[in-house]
Amino acid sequence: MTEVAQAPATARFNGREFLRRVGWLESIGIVGVGLITLIAIFAPWLTPYDPQLRVAEAYLPPSATNWFGTDEIGRDLFSRVVLGIQYTWLPGLAVIVFSLLLGAVIGLIAGAAGGKLDLVIQRIVELFLVLPSTLIALAVVAALGPGLLNTMIAIAIFWWPWYARISRDEIRRLKARPHVEAARVAGVSGPRLLLRYLLPGTVPALLVAATLDVANIVMTMSLMSFLGLGQPAPAPELGAMTSRALDSLTTYWWLPILPAALIFLMCFLANLAGDGIRGAVRGA
Amino acid sequence: MLSYLLRRSAGLVVVLVVMSFIVFCLQSIIPTDPARALAGPTAPVETVERIRAQLGLNDPVIVQYGRFVVRLIHGDLGTSVRTRQPVTSDVLKFLPASLELAVVALAIGIGLAGLLAVLQNSLRRSGAIRVAIIAAGSTPIFLSALLLVYFFWFRLNWLPGSGRLGIRRFVGPTGFDLLDGFLLGRPEVSLDALLHLILPGLALALPIAVAVSRSLNGALHDVMKQTYIRTARGKGLNESVLVMRHGLRNAASAPLAMIGLQMGLLFGNLLIVERVFAWPGLGLYAVQAFASSDLPAVLGVAMVFGTFYILVNILIEILQSLADPRIGL
Repeated sequence: MTEVAQAPATARFNGREFLRRVGWLESIGIVGVGLITLIAIFAPWLTPYDPQLRVAEAYLPPSATNWFGTDEIGRDLFSRVVLGIQYTWLPGLAVIVFSLLLGAVIGLIAGAAGGKLDLVIQRIVELFLVLPSTLIALAVVAALGPGLLNTMIAIAIFWWPWYARISRDEIRRLKARPHVEAARVAGVSGPRLLLRYLLPGTVPALLVAATLDVANIVMTMSLMSFLGLGQPAPAPELGAMTSRALDSLTTYWWLPILPAALIFLMCFLANLAGDGIRGAVRGA
Repeated sequence: MLSYLLRRSAGLVVVLVVMSFIVFCLQSIIPTDPARALAGPTAPVETVERIRAQLGLNDPVIVQYGRFVVRLIHGDLGTSVRTRQPVTSDVLKFLPASLELAVVALAIGIGLAGLLAVLQNSLRRSGAIRVAIIAAGSTPIFLSALLLVYFFWFRLNWLPGSGRLGIRRFVGPTGFDLLDGFLLGRPEVSLDALLHLILPGLALALPIAVAVSRSLNGALHDVMKQTYIRTARGKGLNESVLVMRHGLRNAASAPLAMIGLQMGLLFGNLLIVERVFAWPGLGLYAVQAFASSDLPAVLGVAMVFGTFYILVNILIEILQSLADPRIGL
């Protein structure tokens, strides 16, 4: 979140050139992120067994029939993990989109208005940034009561200020650029200047920050789920699955390790993709 | 310096007031009624009303907040629903274990960060190390903690994988086992405490090491392109003296800021790691408080960790200005 790309606002998008600059490893990341999103959306149709029902003996180790083994009541772990991707990935994306929109709008207002309003918004944003956000988010969920929606709200509350700051700084920077000046001289003002000439310029920096944040959000949400603050018990959230199976580590290692490994895989692909997109936008 | 400290203290007060206000708001939005909880589920309505009046729950919100702040200043964080003890005394009991772990984790993290930075510099064109760093940064803390326990405790049996001490019923004067062993002339206690600290400390240190080494590398890379470095090189200094004497100090600011940022995450990660390693500290206390929806305890821990986080960040700003006097305080 600290590194923000400096891209010219007017660069025309060129798909092939973009891919060349991303690099092959990062391309795997981008493709992987796409695949995970598809899996997350279609998860209920992709599970080989019903994730909520007993399908075999309990505590079977991973095998050809049950790829990730079975859990303490004989449910297929692979099916549960696939559904768990949905429970972790889609809310993560939703939190990103929500914080991004909120932050972008607030930053846009601050940057465009300038003066006192800008100062007030900046102070509020700074206040949010110095607060120990993870801890307060945990406390917020504990107070609101565990649940996926509450987790999402708590994280979004502490995530938008980052985007507000980026968006505000970008607007300030863009305001001084010749194309905006030219537009102003030509008589463009108000919302049209804002939406047509300023807002598009903030997109690259915000997009890069957001893609680099996907892994952070997925990680934060899994941590909360691990601490028992996500959906209640039968829901196959990956963090909660690991946490519930902690005591089985020495006897049935796959129960805590494999769901956690899937979180790792999601974050790894998202980080690769984020790095690739940042590199490509920077080089543009 | 003095005016800086005054300004920062004022800032600290503002942040603490905001934090206490958030905590207060959280306490008042919980769905359970504290008066009803105290009176018991079968108590008549009049009793509940009397307790409500005694607790001052009928007063305006601002009066209640004022009372809350006064209690907070006196170190009163309320009573834990689970342990039935004042949260303050619970916190004081469990805090040393967490602080000990946090300090060790930070030390390991900074050491590892230096090592990683050197490694990365000597293998500059290697993609493998970059992928390894991205992978390390993508590992959820509970996965690395579980893997450490699985291999180094369960499989290899090299290091203890749970608790603070193998020695039972040891209570030292400070609560820091590492220190108490020496104070009481029992080095075997200190050694045992150290062994127990390694795995959880390592789990907590990994994210710090990755983030700090990344920012150290970036900063060093920029600094080494400066003209004064070229001058020093032209003077005939060898490369390691150059990095040590001129590079590191000038590049210190960004990694220090990163350490500050990571401290916030460290306090969150303490909850996870203490749960995995059954570490009897404030994190485990908070996790148990979540499980029994013990809100005063949760908020007390958030308040204490939050204050530490802010203090650490003030300390880091002072360090930044000591390392680079161009950064005014």
